[in-house]
Order: sequence, then C-alpha cells, then structure tokens
Amino acid sequence: MENTIRQNIMSRRYARNRLMMTLSVIAAGLGMFFLAVILGTLLYRGVSALSLDVFTMTIPAEGSRGGLLNAIYGTVMVTFFAILIAAPIGILAGTFLVEYANGSKLAEVAKFINDILLSAPSIIIGVFVYGAIVVPMRGNSAIAGIAALALIALPVVNRTTQDMLLLVPNALREATAALGAPRWKAMTHVIYRSAWTGILTGILLAVARISGETAPLLFTAGYSKFMNAGFTGPIATLPVAINTLAADPGEDLKQLAWAGALIITVAILAINILARLMGGRRQ
Amino acid sequence: MVDATNGADFSRVDVAAITKTFKLQDRIFFLMTFASAALVVLMLLAILVVLVIDALPTFQAYGLSFLWGTSWSAPTEKFGAVPAVLGTLISSLIAMLIAVPLSFGIAIFLTELCPGPLRRPIGTAIELLAGVPSIIYGIVGLFVLVPLMQLYILPFLIATVGQVPIIGYLFQPPAPGVGLLTASFVLAIMVLPFITAITRDVFLTVPPMLRESAYGMGMTTWEVARNILIPYTRRGLVGGIMLGLGRALGETMAVTFVVGSVTRLQSSIISPSTTISAQIANTFGEADGLQLSSLIALGLLLFILSFCVLALAKWMIGRSESF
Repeated sequence: MENTIRQNIMSRRYARNRLMMTLSVIAAGLGMFFLAVILGTLLYRGVSALSLDVFTMTIPAEGSRGGLLNAIYGTVMVTFFAILIAAPIGILAGTFLVEYANGSKLAEVAKFINDILLSAPSIIIGVFVYGAIVVPMRGNSAIAGIAALALIALPVVNRTTQDMLLLVPNALREATAALGAPRWKAMTHVIYRSAWTGILTGILLAVARISGETAPLLFTAGYSKFMNAGFTGPIATLPVAINTLAADPGEDLKQLAWAGALIITVAILAINILARLMGGRRQ
Repeated sequence: MVDATNGADFSRVDVAAITKTFKLQDRIFFLMTFASAALVVLMLLAILVVLVIDALPTFQAYGLSFLWGTSWSAPTEKFGAVPAVLGTLISSLIAMLIAVPLSFGIAIFLTELCPGPLRRPIGTAIELLAGVPSIIYGIVGLFVLVPLMQLYILPFLIATVGQVPIIGYLFQPPAPGVGLLTASFVLAIMVLPFITAITRDVFLTVPPMLRESAYGMGMTTWEVARNILIPYTRRGLVGGIMLGLGRALGETMAVTFVVGSVTRLQSSIISPSTTISAQIANTFGEADGLQLSSLIALGLLLFILSFCVLALAKWMIGRSESF
C-alpha cells in the first residue's frame, strides 16, 4: 500500500520533470531556430543582392545602377568620430569614478546616472540631439549624427572602464605610489596598461553597438543619396539607408536594403567576435 | 644605496621642483577626469532640460490632459498620449510574457541539461543574437513574420479566440499582418537573448554545493530549478527581467517596421497600432509646431518610464547577493 503511494508520487515527479525538461529543450531549440531564421534570411536575400556595385557606387534612383558606397562611408565616418570623442572622455570619467571618488556618495550618483544613460532609449538621444544641435544648425548634419552616437558610446566606455579598473589589484597602485610616481604616471604607465585589453574590448563593443544604431540617426545625420564627405551636410549611414530603402516600393532598392543589412550584420558580428576573443585572452 | 641608484648623484636634483611639477601634472590629470565624469552627469541633465523645454508648448496647450487624451490628429491639432503609451505598454507586456518563460527554459537548458561541449557554442550564439542591430529584426520581421501572421496566425486567432466572449474583443479584424501582436513577437525575439544571457549568468552564481546537495537528496532537475535555482537567484532574475523590459519599452526600429503605425485607441491587439517610439520615428521628420512638441512630450514620457523601470531593476539587483 505504502509502496504504491510512493511509486505514484515518484512517477508523477519524474513525469513532471520530463515534461518541464522537454519544454526547456524546446525553448533552446526555438532560440536556435530564431537565430537560424534571421541569419538564413539575411544570407539568402543579402548574398544574391551583393555585387561589386554595392561597394563602388552611391545610392541610385529606382531603375538605375547603384550601390551603398556613400552609406558605408557615412557609417564608418560617423562611428569613427563618435568613438574618437567618446572613448577618451569615457575612460577619463571611469578613471575618476573608480580611482578618485570610489565609494563616495557622489560617485554612486554619477555611476547611477551613467547606467541610466546606458539604457536610455536610443531614440530619446536622437530627439535630444535634434533639439540641441539640429534645430540651431537648421538642418541635419554629420556633426549631429556624431554627437548622437558619441552620447550612446560614452556610457558604454565609461562603464567598462569602471569594471576593468576595479579588477586591477590594489597592490599595483600601492607599488607605484611607493616608488614615488605621481598619480597620473601611475595611471598611464601602470594601471591603464594592466587594464588595457579590457578597456579596448569595451570600446570595440561600443563600436559594434553604435554602428548598428538607426533610431538616433533618423533626424540627426539624416539621409542623402550622394557622397558627402563634409561634417555640416546630411549624411547617409547604412542603418538609415536600410530603413529608407526597405520601405521603398522599388524592388531593386529593396534588394539594396538587404545587401546593406547583410553587410552591417556581418561587420557587427565580426567586431563582437573580435571583442570576445580579446576579452577571452585576458583570462 | 649607491648600487641601487647606479651611482646617480641625487644632490644636484631639485626635488622640490620635481615635486611641484608632479603635483601640477597630477592636478591637471585629476581635473580632466573630474570634468569627464561631470560631463556625463551634465549630459543627462541636458537631455532632461532640452526635452522639457521642447515639450513645454504641449503642456501649455493641453495641460496635463495631454496625458489622458485619447486622440492624435494633426489636422485638428488634437494630441493625446494614451494610444501611443498604451501601445508601448501592451506590446512590451506581451513580449515579456513570451520572452521570460522561453529565456528561463533556455537558461535551465544551458546550465543543467546541455552536454558540456555544446554549452559554450550555444551560449555564444545566443549572446551574438543580442548584438544583431534592431533594424535587422525589423526588416526580417516585416518580410518573414508579417506574411506568416497575415496568412495563417491572425486568421486562426480571429476564428478561434476571437469568437470567445469578452477576450474576443482583443482579436478583431482588421488584421493586415502588421499590428501590435506582430510587434510584440518581434520584441520578444529581440529581448530573448538579452534576458537569457542574464538568467544564465545568475543561475551560474548558485554555489555548486547547494545544487549538488539538492541532486543528492534525490531531487529531479526540474525540482532543483524550481526550488533551488530560481529562489536563490530571484532578485537577480527580476532585475534581469526589468532590464529586458526597459529595452522592450524603448525599442524603436524593430517595432516601427511591423506595428502598422495607426494612432487610434482600439481594443484589438492584432490590428495596426503604434507605440511611443514608432510614433516618434514615423512622424518626427514631417512634424512641426504643436505636433513636434507633442512628439517630444511623448519622448519625455518614454524617458521617465524607462528611468523608473531601470531604477527598479538596479534596486532589485543591488539588493541581491548574486550580482
């Protein structure tokens, strides 16, 4: 009697376990399936749309030959200058929060504010830069796009720098101080050096993040069909070009959007993997 | 002493002068780092100030009734926040209802069931999925998911759930494929890798001793997950969910492509609708005057919303031991 009850309970528990574990495996399968569908669609539609023209010509009108050269240039240019601004400021800010103010109330507040910026919706950044730069300048410009992306990259670099500096053993700081080195020399010659791969990983991740951003660029950098190398005019970027071309009724232009989607995704995944490899080597 | 300094003659070195230069340099370096940190803080203030100033005309025109205004029409200059705010809240809620159980399932699979050699590749694949730009989710959603929804899933929902009293109101035509539910699905797929990565990381913080003892007591894998992993990490889990929710609320491109962008208050969740971010992305370019100001006011609401969610998430995670 007691045996059957026990057996019943056991079999019910095992049945429940089997059910839940099957669901868990299905969930993992679904996750892999989504990844496969996204990458599969991108490859299927993107590869057939790729050609040399894509890299050598600017965005065409429907029906004529063209490519994405100006958008590719725009993405590289805007991302490069955004990182050029955000990286030093982010590193210095992270340095202040960890090396000079760590543990103080002020630093806690500043860290919290940085985390808010880090997860602020990117379209809000776009709206802000529109009000702060585009309206006074009376028009979309590469400068506005650079400012928007820099503002998104800044908290990322700041945060990674904080995390990486916290990993540097205190003995290193004490040792350099004991040698009589001034603080800035200790930082640049010793502390940054030992945290360097980590900080660089953070910068790479920031590059990966901002080069795929669309929303903050829509009303800041804007869109242009033409090659525009300057800072003051509107400039096309790959994500905004994809956004514009995918909505176009023209079939050729849709094709071009898929080519752009493939290019930007492959580039971002490559940067992500590179960052991962660098981060992995550190351990 | 002489050996250690290679015989250098220190008597001629002006220690005081060097110390002075070092102090000055240190001061400059300190000020640079301080200015950078202050800049980050000022940026947040600047964002708030600009948003508030630009949104002011709206609040002057409608007062707080902007918050519960239900219509959005440019010709009559009537702007209310409710349709877009509701769209944002509902789509994020549905997305979380789908993504959270799936993420937990995948995390349990990765930490408890998955054969060792597969763990890293699958884990990395899911993290890479998190790096894919949101516009990619948008166009793949538009060209792959929308036709599926239009031809199979939505007609099926209308024919079945749509006939049930009360709940049926949520599943009424028109259902052209784009709509709130489609947007929710795309959002769910987008936040899935993000929540999964956090969930897996907090599950891995459970001490092996605790887990092994539970297995040793004869618990099944599900019982270990249910009674050990989830209770032990619950604050971290809730924090992770909130971070995912924050992403879903603010997501723009993935939603804009598939939500349909119809600003009207309606009961059906399968019809074309809008969200705050989609509303801004779609109409900001052509808007001016009061409409522009109202869009910025919507943006301010979104910022406040995501701030609250994030603050809650930080508070939860901060209080857990697992992070």
